[in-house]
Amino acid sequence: MPARFSLLSLGKILFSPAEAFQAVADESPPASRVFFRFALWIGLLPPLFAYVGTTLFGWRLGVEPVFLPQPTVIAICLAYFAALLFGFVSSAVVARWMAVTYDASQSLGRCLALMAIVGAPLAIGSIVHLFPHAFLNVLVLVPVLIWCMYLLYRGLPVVLGTGPNRGMLMASALIAYLFVAFVSLLGITVALWGSGIGPQIGT
Amino acid sequence: MTVRHYEDRVVTAFLYCAVFWALLGMVAGVWVAAELVWPTIDFGIPALSFGRLRTAHTTLVLFGFGVSALIATAIYSVQRTSHVRLFAPGLAWALFWAWQLAIVLGAASILAGWTSAKEYAELEWPFDIAIAVAWVAFAVIFFGTIARRKVEPIYISNWFYGALIIVVAMLHIVNSLALPATLGKSYSLFAGAQDAVVQWWYGHNAVGFLLTGGFLGMLYYFLPKQAEQPIWSYRLSIVAFWAFVYTYIWAGPHHLHYHAVPEWVQSLGMVMSLILLAPSWATMVNGIMTVAGAAKKLRTDPALKFIVLALAFYGLATFEGPMLAIKSVNVFSHFTEWTIGHVHSGALGWNALITFGTFYFLVPRLAGVPLYSTRLANVHFWLALAGTMLYVLAMWGAGVSQGVLWLSLDDLGEVRFSFNDVMAAMQPYYLLRLLAGLAFLAGTVLMAVNLAKTFAGRPTAVAMPPAGRRA
Ligand code: HEM
Ligand code: HEM
Repeated sequence: MPARFSLLSLGKILFSPAEAFQAVADESPPASRVFFRFALWIGLLPPLFAYVGTTLFGWRLGVEPVFLPQPTVIAICLAYFAALLFGFVSSAVVARWMAVTYDASQSLGRCLALMAIVGAPLAIGSIVHLFPHAFLNVLVLVPVLIWCMYLLYRGLPVVLGTGPNRGMLMASALIAYLFVAFVSLLGITVALWGSGIGPQIGT
Repeated sequence: MTVRHYEDRVVTAFLYCAVFWALLGMVAGVWVAAELVWPTIDFGIPALSFGRLRTAHTTLVLFGFGVSALIATAIYSVQRTSHVRLFAPGLAWALFWAWQLAIVLGAASILAGWTSAKEYAELEWPFDIAIAVAWVAFAVIFFGTIARRKVEPIYISNWFYGALIIVVAMLHIVNSLALPATLGKSYSLFAGAQDAVVQWWYGHNAVGFLLTGGFLGMLYYFLPKQAEQPIWSYRLSIVAFWAFVYTYIWAGPHHLHYHAVPEWVQSLGMVMSLILLAPSWATMVNGIMTVAGAAKKLRTDPALKFIVLALAFYGLATFEGPMLAIKSVNVFSHFTEWTIGHVHSGALGWNALITFGTFYFLVPRLAGVPLYSTRLANVHFWLALAGTMLYVLAMWGAGVSQGVLWLSLDDLGEVRFSFNDVMAAMQPYYLLRLLAGLAFLAGTVLMAVNLAKTFAGRPTAVAMPPAGRRA
């Protein structure tokens, strides 16, 4: 009896993703299971790491460390968590919406599981947030991110049961969505910042 | 001879040169990227100094690589969509030699220190005149072919190529108006704020009609070809074209936010940039739906992968652009590496990838044999994707750090970090970008080898217009 989709299969998800993709395809886990037994918990990791790191070491953008007051740190970590969950759920929903066009499976559970497996290395990699040196984080997370994109291209046809060609097209379309979601977040953040909402960068 | 086959040899020639300039331009890009990490590697030679080499980089990639690729694909597709042989093939060859010579001498003049100090229009007045003449030749060849067409409607790709030709002529001539002082020095007719507005009217529409419009022409011909499926919505493509042409022209002032130009001009630029999202994305949706509709019968083909991924980056660049045009975002992003990241998500992710995809489609047809190695092309795909991602992410990281550091104030309300502090903090990101550039360049080298092996000295295959339609 293969392990069902849960935190217990984390090892398989990280180290033999091909098997994990196949398992999801066979098992077709319900959405609630993917969300509550897996995604929610690994989604907690990045904000937790960020909280600890920011409190202990301060942000390092390359010059001197910046320490923020506790309530600000907590607010930022909560916002971070919310953004991650939004990104995760919305990309699964977008995948399900696109599935009609690409003749892929429209099971929300599978779409969530796909995004969960693809995102898992990032969640684990976010352990570098423990030392919030901007460059160290970029250095570690960028290769992980490229790996995640590779996983998306590889996993999508298997998990959503569509051909390799359609899978490739759909993965590219999803990547376009992810780009846009990410860059919007960046834009909104700096616009809020510029208008004085958020942590004080001066003083 | 009564045979009136398509004139494709000149396409092959432009294509070869495009690949060559891509390689050289990217080597220059990698070198300037390295200079930002190790500033002394110009060895005190003026020609290798950052200012000159950076300009050589943009000139080589935009006008050497970009324009050669656009002319090659325009000539190839205008014949096929018009069902006639090229008008004035002799003139096309003259254009070929003139253009390549202009790039060689132009790049040399920049390295020698000639510059009009206008970004993306640095070449001095003798080159400006030569380019204007060459561009007229391009117009004659292109519109001459259209005038002789055997099919009534003018296919959408030709509208975009046509807009490229007309608008770039207009931009180039107006922005280059100058009083020559000596052979290598001239003074612009415009001064002060006027100069800035004209310059960015030029700069932004060069992005709009060359890097976007021209390459959309490429997309509209080669994507449906590759997918063996007509455009998803032809009507949408026409509507988007006119909306695109009308809106782009006004968006230039978003490069001048908070500068000494009237407030309302800046706001106009911002609003027009936001509206621009609609036609830009209409085209992306049209492209995506075209391939999606054909997905069932598609073969695994490296060319298509590049084109589809290029669409994703096109979506990113044309979303990020309007966002950066919002003044409250621009106050943060302007003067930071974020702009450079935006530039290269467009330049690498969109322009270079779609050109690579088109070349992988075109070369087997021009050579009359299958591509030498699909595997090499697949490796190239991953190198290009990784290189672009790494580039863009490194620049996002750098840009956001820079923005925060520059906006930091100390207890007295003074700027907290000096320029030097900020530059020093950028080093690691610059190193990452260098790696990104090397990966992207390595992929391009693989492509060059692959394409050269496919041609392997073969002459360009002869292709005929459809029988029975000939006059
Ligand atoms: C809807 C589409 C687009 C809009 C509204 C837009 C908007 C912008 C904005 C606001 C900037 C920053 C100006 C500044 O702060 O200095 C910029 C820079 C730039 N963009 Fe875009 N962009 C778009 C698409 C593209 C695309 C597809 C490319 C293709 C490569 C591109 C190439 C560039 C370049 C080269 C620059 C740098 C200009 C300079 O030298 O300062 N853009 N764009
Ligand atoms: C191997 C690939 C490449 C590398 C490593 C590279 C590197 C660079 C570097 C270091 C700069 C100067 C950035 C600065 O001043 O901070 C630059 C600017 C620029 N590059 Fe590239 N580049 C590459 C490919 C390309 C391609 C293929 C294109 C166009 C199709 C392109 C278009 C530009 C433009 C337009 C600018 C000026 C941006 C501005 O002024 O805002 N680059 N590039």
